[in-house]
Amino acid sequence: MTRLQRSRALRWLCTLAAAAALIVVLFPVYAVIVGSFESTETLFSGTYYWLPHAPTLDNFRTVIQAQSANVLTSLIVGVGTAVLALVVAVPAAYALAKYRLRVTVVMVSALLVAQIVPSIVLATSLFIIFHWIHLVNTYPGLIIADGTYAIPFAILVLRAFLFSLPDEVMQAARVDGASEWQTFLRIVMPLARSAVITVAVFAFLNGWGDFIFALTILNGATIVPITLGIYTYLGNFSTDWGAVMASAAFAMVPAAVMLAVAQRYIASGLTAGSVVG
Amino acid sequence: MGSANMKIGTSAALQAQAAKRSVSPARGPGEASRLSGRQRRQLAGWLFLTPAILYILFAFGLPIIYNVMLSFEQTSPATIADLTAPFAGLANYRFVLDDPTSRAAIVHTFEFTAGSLFGQFIIGFALALLFTLRFPGRTVARSLIIVPWLLPLIVTGIIFKFLFQLEGGAVNQLLMDVGLAHQPIDWLDDPHLGLLTILIANIWLGVPFFTLLLYSALQDVPVEVKEAALMDGAGPWQRLRLVIVPIILPVIEVTLLLGFVFTVKVFDLVIALTGGGPANATQLITTWSYNLSFQEFSFGEGAALNNVLLVLAMICAPLYLLLSRGSLRRSSGAGK
Repeated sequence: MTRLQRSRALRWLCTLAAAAALIVVLFPVYAVIVGSFESTETLFSGTYYWLPHAPTLDNFRTVIQAQSANVLTSLIVGVGTAVLALVVAVPAAYALAKYRLRVTVVMVSALLVAQIVPSIVLATSLFIIFHWIHLVNTYPGLIIADGTYAIPFAILVLRAFLFSLPDEVMQAARVDGASEWQTFLRIVMPLARSAVITVAVFAFLNGWGDFIFALTILNGATIVPITLGIYTYLGNFSTDWGAVMASAAFAMVPAAVMLAVAQRYIASGLTAGSVVG
Repeated sequence: MGSANMKIGTSAALQAQAAKRSVSPARGPGEASRLSGRQRRQLAGWLFLTPAILYILFAFGLPIIYNVMLSFEQTSPATIADLTAPFAGLANYRFVLDDPTSRAAIVHTFEFTAGSLFGQFIIGFALALLFTLRFPGRTVARSLIIVPWLLPLIVTGIIFKFLFQLEGGAVNQLLMDVGLAHQPIDWLDDPHLGLLTILIANIWLGVPFFTLLLYSALQDVPVEVKEAALMDGAGPWQRLRLVIVPIILPVIEVTLLLGFVFTVKVFDLVIALTGGGPANATQLITTWSYNLSFQEFSFGEGAALNNVLLVLAMICAPLYLLLSRGSLRRSSGAGK
């Protein structure tokens, strides 16, 4: 074999290895999509079918009826979390990046440490505190709790981004007589648009995918996000796998949409979240 | 950056100040006009920061303090409606340290975390190295590898429960089809296998994160360094161990640290896969704490276990702050 042939063979070997890795990574997603079209008989036959076997829409009929309201609930929670995260995080990130405040080091340290706090620790206390101030089983209560995933991350990512904005931009606005608020709203916000979209996408996914706060802060009767809706399908003895798979397919839709539409924001957000640390 | 910027900055600030001074007498003795430009800027900065400070105090500070209070209280289902319950001294902590399930949960959490980090790092690093090579389809592969990370965790847990089923599960089907197993393996209900099953699911979940971070670090290794090592006759393994790993060590440290933090927190995945069972064989601190608080309504005991978890997670906080010192130092205003 010539050198060229060998290097070409090596490249295809790499492709093969990557393909194998991708199969393992993507198989569960494939299994959900195939499973959501399988009949109950197929799913309980005791054999796993690698390819679609007698596809049907029955599961979706069941799930659209049972889970539509829950999907809407999750949308509200996701959008609410994104809005809360932006309102809290964007001005804070601006202050921490561009104003020399005495509190900056303390605040940034607090945000870094906040990312470490396990959600169950917060959920236990928040349940009783929320009980006391009547936020249990409410949208605001759940959104405030879901913000604990999104807000520290959002502030740190936006702050890292805002460092890259030259100070002259703001100086110029001030010279032109713009107030601090106007400078922030009209000059800084538009320039930071891509970073703002990144953190909004992540905050939405956090709110959409949250399970632990939905499980603890909601009573499971009036406000039911899709994550909680799927969980209640998991019976102890018999699970309606068709319905579970169809609901799981619904729950994956935002991730799929985000991956298709906002891929560059996601990739940059994933790395920024850690490089920032 | 540096002095040129600073000069522009100061002169602009002076101009702004001068402009304001000339305006203020006309405005009259209003509160705002008496502030200097610097003071006004400080005030604006504080106002921008206020919502975040309030949020952090309310959603992190308050629950953490309240959790400490709860852990010293004798709670019961009857006390949930009240903010405080009778003082219990160290009873809750004594319970947690004596309770066999709590102790097992702490041990499981250590095993689960160590196993996850080991598996995620080895596989993630191997994939990251693979992606640095040029081969057909690598861009597509790289962008699709992050998919597991975008799915709701509870969905991931449920899918794995489906795949690991005793009968009709894809994993058993595959093992039997290729002849690695003669009868289905009880991944979820065998107490000896449960921990391994949640470990496999969590490694699957964490690999993309490791791959992505290590890949971007590998991209930053200067080509000259790699070429120089090649010229010196270093083999692939030597180049990796002696040249590349030392260069990306800071990123490896941060990645392992964040991986540790993520893994210690894992809850959804286990609740969906095994619910802590069978016979508490997969009970982690998080799931057992949930059980104590929300199933048995022993919030005091749950809070005590939470504090064990918090201390465990916070072990790495100083290290995290140390590794983030670059980001912290920038905040002291030196960057201006």
